Amino acid sequence: MRSAVASSAPARALGRARDDGAAIVSIAALKKTFGDLEAIRHLSFDVGDGEFLSVLGPSGCGKSTLLMMVAGLIDPTAGEIRIQGAKVTGPRREIGVVFQSPVLLPWRTVLQNVLFPIELLKLPRPHYRRRAMELLRMAKIDEFAGVLPRQLSGGMRQRVAICRALVHDPNILLMDEPFSALDAITRDEMAVELQRIWQVNRKTVIFVTHSIREAAFLSDRVVVMGRRPATIIDELAIELPRPRPIAVTEDETFNRLVRHLRKAIEASHAE
Amino acid sequence: MRNNIGKYAATIGWPVLVTTLILLAWEISVRMLGIRSIILPPPSAVLETMAHRHDLLLTHLWPSLYLTVLGFLLSVIGGIFVAVLITYSAIVRKGFYPVIVVSQVIPKISIAPLFIVWFGTGTMPSLLLAFLVAFFPMTINAAMGFESIDEDIHRMARTFMGSRWQIFWKIRMPNAMPYIFGGMKISITLAIIGVIVSEFVASQEGIGYLIKLAGGLLDTPPLWDHRGRGKLGGLLAATTRGRRGRRRMMRCS
Ligand SMILES: Nc1ncnc2c1ncn2[C@@H]1O[C@H](COP(=O)(O)OP(=O)(O)OP(=O)(O)O)[C@@H](O)[C@H]1O
Ligand SMILES: [Mg+2]
Repeated sequence: MRSAVASSAPARALGRARDDGAAIVSIAALKKTFGDLEAIRHLSFDVGDGEFLSVLGPSGCGKSTLLMMVAGLIDPTAGEIRIQGAKVTGPRREIGVVFQSPVLLPWRTVLQNVLFPIELLKLPRPHYRRRAMELLRMAKIDEFAGVLPRQLSGGMRQRVAICRALVHDPNILLMDEPFSALDAITRDEMAVELQRIWQVNRKTVIFVTHSIREAAFLSDRVVVMGRRPATIIDELAIELPRPRPIAVTEDETFNRLVRHLRKAIEASHAE
Repeated sequence: MRNNIGKYAATIGWPVLVTTLILLAWEISVRMLGIRSIILPPPSAVLETMAHRHDLLLTHLWPSLYLTVLGFLLSVIGGIFVAVLITYSAIVRKGFYPVIVVSQVIPKISIAPLFIVWFGTGTMPSLLLAFLVAFFPMTINAAMGFESIDEDIHRMARTFMGSRWQIFWKIRMPNAMPYIFGGMKISITLAIIGVIVSEFVASQEGIGYLIKLAGGLLDTPPLWDHRGRGKLGGLLAATTRGRRGRRRMMRCS
């Protein structure tokens, strides 16, 4: 077991799943090039079942590319991704994705948007309608179920997108900087909300961000990616008790974690 | 509810008011300036002719109307079909699409005589010309609607394992609806022009034929009347299309 607060694992053990829980996602020697551009050089890490893992890295280091590969939308150049032991070759049912922008369909109401995956997956509508309403209630936007997206604020839209990603009850939630378009206050609020939703649903989450504080606040573990071509340069377990109130971000323990992560990123810049 | 009626009255009221004012100004200026009826008949004379010869006008209105509607519908179906091909086939998009666009510099009206050589003076040339002029805006608009999908929306649908078929019906089609109705608005007016011009060139019936006939006899009031009708019909068609288009769009959402 690691020490209670922060410990950087020795380099060769970087990326092992926390605890002894079986890895639900395992990424091995992943490489991705776009023509001449080497976006990702070498990535290996595991994600444990029910773990909230953040991937932290500077802009343009290949975080979105990594998520798209886990989602099965693009193929890796080399290496492989396994989900529950099976190699990823295309989109899979047990994955839900939240994108950087909400990508809602403007002609559909909130509820219809949340039910969109159900239609595509041809799942029984009445059952999932109930579930969708529950999710909306949990995200505190149930009173807007019949409203069109353009009538919602940015934060509310992103909540709808989160509900949509959860509606078909996937095991794994992939989130690509879901709050980056929001203002700082809403962002903190959404982080607290997401934590609450996650505690109720207990999905495995891979959360991509370039906000150090957001990563530290939300995660069980943070994986730090260096500049392009990306490799993992550090990893940190965040063992703060949950639920974490937003005030935790003012604690010395929390700030020590943040400093540690910042140093790791700065070290990668200096290279 | 009352608000709705108010809005409805406003959409009808304003165009009616403006049209009335234009007609009034026309009538007054023709009378005050003493313009001869053969140069510019006043609207009252046009109306009188309309009432007087309504049976003649009606018999010639039907073929024109029928061909316009038919040509328009064909252009809608054909335009959407070609737009689907443009969206899904790289060969059509890269090979045919530019050719379709460039071919538009040919004034299609100039093809009318050719059609008459090929198909005689029956209804076929009129129908073809109506279709041909109305087809282009339909195609361009529908193709734009099918293709202007955010890459992220496409990705989102794919992560939920949406098939091409589902992506077409649930994303591309609803996304294209406003574009398609925009295309229809343009196409219907072009279809009217197509039919009238074709009848004008060679036909034994229809509004275009009447215009030519009256023009030949220097009988200006009926000529104006048909123009008025052509214009009025066009306006009417455009507004109803517009309203229905909007309603349709709302229903889709
Ligand atoms: N389809 C593509 N074709 C070519 N290059 C690409 C493609 N997608 C991404 N790249 C390149 O790969 C690199 C990583 O891109 P990616 O979008 O994964 O970065 P990111 O870490 O998500 O950045 P940000 O934090 O700004 O979103 C960038 O340099 C980008 O230009
Ligand atoms: Mg990105």
